[in-house]
Amino acid sequence: MISLIFGKLRSPLLLVGFAFVLTACDINAVPKFDEQVNAAWSQVENQYQRRADLVPNLVATVQGFATQEREVLQNVVEARAKVGQMQIPANILQNPDALKMFEQNQGALSSALSRLLVVVERYPDLKSNQNFLTLQSQLEGTENRIAVARRDYIAAVRDYNTELRTIPGKWIAAWLYPEAEIKPTFTATTDNADQAPVVNFNSGS
Amino acid sequence: MATLLAVSALAQIQFPELTGRVVDEANLLTPAKEAEISGMLRVHEEATGNQVVVVTVQSLQDRTIEEYTVELGRFWGIGQEDRDNGVLLLVAPNERQVRIEVGYGLEGLLTDARASVIIQNEIIPAFRTGNRVKGIVDGVRGILAALEQEADTVSGVAPEKQKFALPPVIIFFIFILIIMSFLSFGRSSRRYSRSSRGWSSGGGFSGSSSGGFSGGGGSFGGGGSSGSW
Repeated sequence: MISLIFGKLRSPLLLVGFAFVLTACDINAVPKFDEQVNAAWSQVENQYQRRADLVPNLVATVQGFATQEREVLQNVVEARAKVGQMQIPANILQNPDALKMFEQNQGALSSALSRLLVVVERYPDLKSNQNFLTLQSQLEGTENRIAVARRDYIAAVRDYNTELRTIPGKWIAAWLYPEAEIKPTFTATTDNADQAPVVNFNSGS
Repeated sequence: MATLLAVSALAQIQFPELTGRVVDEANLLTPAKEAEISGMLRVHEEATGNQVVVVTVQSLQDRTIEEYTVELGRFWGIGQEDRDNGVLLLVAPNERQVRIEVGYGLEGLLTDARASVIIQNEIIPAFRTGNRVKGIVDGVRGILAALEQEADTVSGVAPEKQKFALPPVIIFFIFILIIMSFLSFGRSSRRYSRSSRGWSSGGGFSGSSSGGFSGGGGSFGGGGSSGSW
């Protein structure tokens, strides 16, 4: 084992570098940051799922009061269906296209929901309905959790990518974790992709 | 990662210092009211372990109240680390906004909907009439009621406690340690008064018998509710 390493690293400069890396740095940093990215991503998926689970109840409640808003409701149902059908590949964190698709679908649901919450303003009966108020506060809370989860994910990816791009993390990764790659992160490309639906508590009272 | 986030947030937002269970940076409360609320929160923490903190701030520093509050809660580490059982009631009088931020571990008791009802029914009506003290006190009562009332009926908290039950040997060991520490404190009372007085943040979990208070390292995920008046 030792002869193998020394056989590979003939250059004394590299040897010094290797010794420096072993003594001064955390050789587990790359997998540690990788796990943090995975954990942050689970939270992102989890919170988006939570929102998707709220939608059927919300649609059912609004339908009872706002029968004229068929088109807006239809948009929400379709966007929700698209989110539900989407197969999230296991390697989504190595796959910028899959991440972009995920984000587009979730963004479409975000904007459909925000339009729904705008038209709801026209129905005072609905706005004072206890069931609706509960759903509205849950939706608002979930949107905020999504925002937090996304920020955490972006921060975790930043830490991971920085480790991979800077020395000594770059060397360690090249020697020990050759499969480690720069990960994609969220971009606010779709309209309002980064904005939660605005829920205004003031206007009713 | 939590510390990294706190550090990166620190570089951008200037947070007030965690000086106790009530941090009244915007000066909305009299010292007497502050002590009264602090007492309620301490009693609650002694009974349940939940850390509830009331904060009033001068400025949200151009953040949304949601972002400011979650970062503040993480920076202070409100709640115990293994239970994430912290709650923040944050009032920003200059922005006319209020938020209840709920730690992961209490989201089942103090749901978003419940937090929203407390804000809409208890806090905002009082704030609208200019009575901020009443709004804060009623808000705290509402939060504590939600955490205490349902703790008896809702399952999920009690089983967790049993899971972390200490074996008798360890309890005996801790008991001996406590007795030893009391003996040594008795010998030099000056050291005792000094060590129990300092307020600090980010340290270990404390807050039973001594007056000192610090965050226990709990984290937040954005649960809770906000409102404006």
